[in-house]
Amino acid sequence: MTLPQTVPFLGWSWNDLLFLVLATALLGTALMVVLGRNIIRSGLWMIACFATLAGVYALLGTPLVAAAQVLVYIGAISVLILFAIMLTQTKGGPAALVFHHQAWAAAIAAVVLGTLLALVVTSTEWPLAGEYAATSVRAIAQLLFSDYVLPFEIVGVLLLAAVIGGVFLAKRDEPRDEPHGERPE
Amino acid sequence: MTLTRSWSRLTPAGKIVVPLLAIVVALTVALLLGMVTGIVPAITGAVLDTLEANVGIVRFVVAILAVLLFTIPTAFIVGYLELKAIAFMNLRLGPNRVGPWGTLAAAFHGFKILAKEDFTPTGADVPVFTLAPAVVFLAPVLAFLVLPFAPGLFGQDMNIALLYFFAMGGLGVVGLMMAGWSSFNKYSLLGALRAAAQIISYEIPLTLSVVGLILLAGTLSLNQIVLNQQGSFLDWYVWQQPLGFAIFFIAATAEGNRTPFDLTEADSEIVAGFATEYSGMRFGFFYFAEYVNVFLLSALTVVLYFGGWLAPIDIGAVLHQVGLTFDPALDPGSLGLGLLLGILIVPPLAIVALALPFWAFRSGLPFWKALVVGFLLFNVIAAGATLLWAVASFEVVEGLLWFMAKTYVFVAILVWMRATLPRVRIDQLMGFAWKWLLPAALVNLFVTALALIVIDAVKG
Repeated sequence: MTLPQTVPFLGWSWNDLLFLVLATALLGTALMVVLGRNIIRSGLWMIACFATLAGVYALLGTPLVAAAQVLVYIGAISVLILFAIMLTQTKGGPAALVFHHQAWAAAIAAVVLGTLLALVVTSTEWPLAGEYAATSVRAIAQLLFSDYVLPFEIVGVLLLAAVIGGVFLAKRDEPRDEPHGERPE
Repeated sequence: MTLTRSWSRLTPAGKIVVPLLAIVVALTVALLLGMVTGIVPAITGAVLDTLEANVGIVRFVVAILAVLLFTIPTAFIVGYLELKAIAFMNLRLGPNRVGPWGTLAAAFHGFKILAKEDFTPTGADVPVFTLAPAVVFLAPVLAFLVLPFAPGLFGQDMNIALLYFFAMGGLGVVGLMMAGWSSFNKYSLLGALRAAAQIISYEIPLTLSVVGLILLAGTLSLNQIVLNQQGSFLDWYVWQQPLGFAIFFIAATAEGNRTPFDLTEADSEIVAGFATEYSGMRFGFFYFAEYVNVFLLSALTVVLYFGGWLAPIDIGAVLHQVGLTFDPALDPGSLGLGLLLGILIVPPLAIVALALPFWAFRSGLPFWKALVVGFLLFNVIAAGATLLWAVASFEVVEGLLWFMAKTYVFVAILVWMRATLPRVRIDQLMGFAWKWLLPAALVNLFVTALALIVIDAVKG
C-alpha cells in the first residue's frame, strides 16, 4: 500500500500542502521579526524565517540555493547581525526598538511599498506552476560560468569594493597612543 | 494531589520528557497486548508492505534515528578517550574506578549530569536559554546525515553533500550566541561574541581549502569523493592537496572550538564562556555536542583527504601475491547437523582447554576462577574470529572498520593537541585566520587550478 497521491479529504498534492505549511511558517516568523519588542528575539526569529525560506527553496527543487541560503544567510549574515546587536546593546538599555516612535513615516512607507508590490504583482505575467523539477548543481555551474560570467564577476568586484570600503571606514586615522600588540621601534 | 505537586516541581524539560515516557510505556503495553492477543502477527504483513512501498521515507526516518543514536556512544567514547589519554600524557592514572580501566567513567558522568539540578539564572531569557543547547547539539547531528561511513552506509547521498555539511556545521554558532546572550552574564556574552567572530573567520579558510579538492574531484558528493580515491593509499587526496589538508585541519580545529583555539570557553579568562550559567542536562548537551563535533571533524578529514572507508592497501591482492588465498565464502548452512554439534560442543571444550593452563601453572588458583578466565578468553577469541569473518565476508563491515580506525586516529590527534598545545590569544587567533590561512587557501586554490590546466594542456 503506497501513500495516496493527494492529501486525503482535500484533494491537494502533498507538495502544495507542504508549501502551505512552510509559507505559513515563513509569514508567521517574518511577522514575529517586525512585531517583537526584543531586538535579539527579532534576530532569532529572522533566522527561523531564513530557515523556512531554505525549506521552500528545497521544495522547489533547488537544494543548492537552499544550502546556500542556510550557509550565507543563517551561518554568516544573521550571525553577524546578532554579533553587532550584542556588541552595541545592553540589557540595561531600553528594550523597545528605537524606530518604534516613527509610526507615521512607517505607515507612509508601508502604503507606498504595498502599492508598488500590488502594481508589480498585477502587471507580471505569471507562468503556471508546472512540475517541481530538480535543478542540478552542474547545470547552475554551467550557466554561471558561461552565460552569466560577467554579472558574476561584477558582483564579485562589487563585494570586494564593499569590503575595502568597510575596512577604510573602520580604520582609525591615527595610530593608538599606547599600542598593545607591537611596540614601535 | 501528589500528582499535581510533583508535576509542578518538574523542570520545563521534564514536563516534555515525562509525557513522552508515558507514551512510550503505553505503546509498549499496547504492543505486548497485541502480541498476546495475536493482532500484531496478523497485521505484520500489511505493515511491512506499506513500509516497503514507501522505502524512501522509511530510509530517511531510520537514517535520522540511527544518526541520533550513534551520537551517544560516540560522545562517551571520545569523552573517555580524552580523560584517559590526557591523563597518560600528564603522567596521571586518569579514570580507574568505574568499570575495567575506568571505561564506564564517561557513562557515569552522563548519569551524574542527568541527576543534577537544571538551573536557570534570574534575568535569563528562558525560552532562548532552553533552546540554545538543542540548537548546538542539532548542528553536528544534522551534518552526520551526509557522512559516508561505509559503501552504501550513509543517510543521504546528496550531490551537494559538502555544501550541506558546511551549512549545518555553521548552524552551531547560532546556538552558541543564543546561549551566551540569554544567560545574562558578561562572561557568557564574551564567550558568545568570541565564538561568532572565531567561527565566521575560520569558516572562510575552511571552505576555501576544500575548493582545490573539489576541482580535483569534480563533485560535491562525499560518497563520490571517497570513490574517487580508490586504489592504494597513494591515491588519497592528501598527497595532491597537502597544503589544503593542513589548512583544513587547522581551520576545522578552530571550528570545533578545540584547543589551541578554544577561546570561547577559555576557563582562565572567561570562566566557561557561553556555558558559564548552564548546569544539568543543558550543560550536558554542550558537552555532547563538543565530542560529537570532534568525531565529525575527524570523520570529514578522513573522508576528504584519507580515502574514507577505503583500505590503505588491497589486502586481498597482497595475500594473493604471498600465496595465501582466504576464501570467506563460508556458508553456515552447508555444515548441516555438524553446525549444531559445533555450537553445542566447541564452546565448553574450548573454555576448559583455555582454563586448564591457568589452573595448571598458577598455583592457588581455584578451578572455578580458572574457568571464568577461560570463559572470558573464549569470548574474546570468538568475538575476534566473528569480526574477522565479517570483515572478510562483508564489504560494509570492512569499510566501517577502516573508517572508524582512521577517524579515531584523528580524534586521538585532536586529544593530543589539547594535551600539548597552549591556548592562543584572541588577536593571534584572528590574525592567523585572516593573514595566513586565507592567503594560503587562495594560493592552494590557484596552484591546483593552474596544475589542472597545465596537465590538461600536456595531455590534450
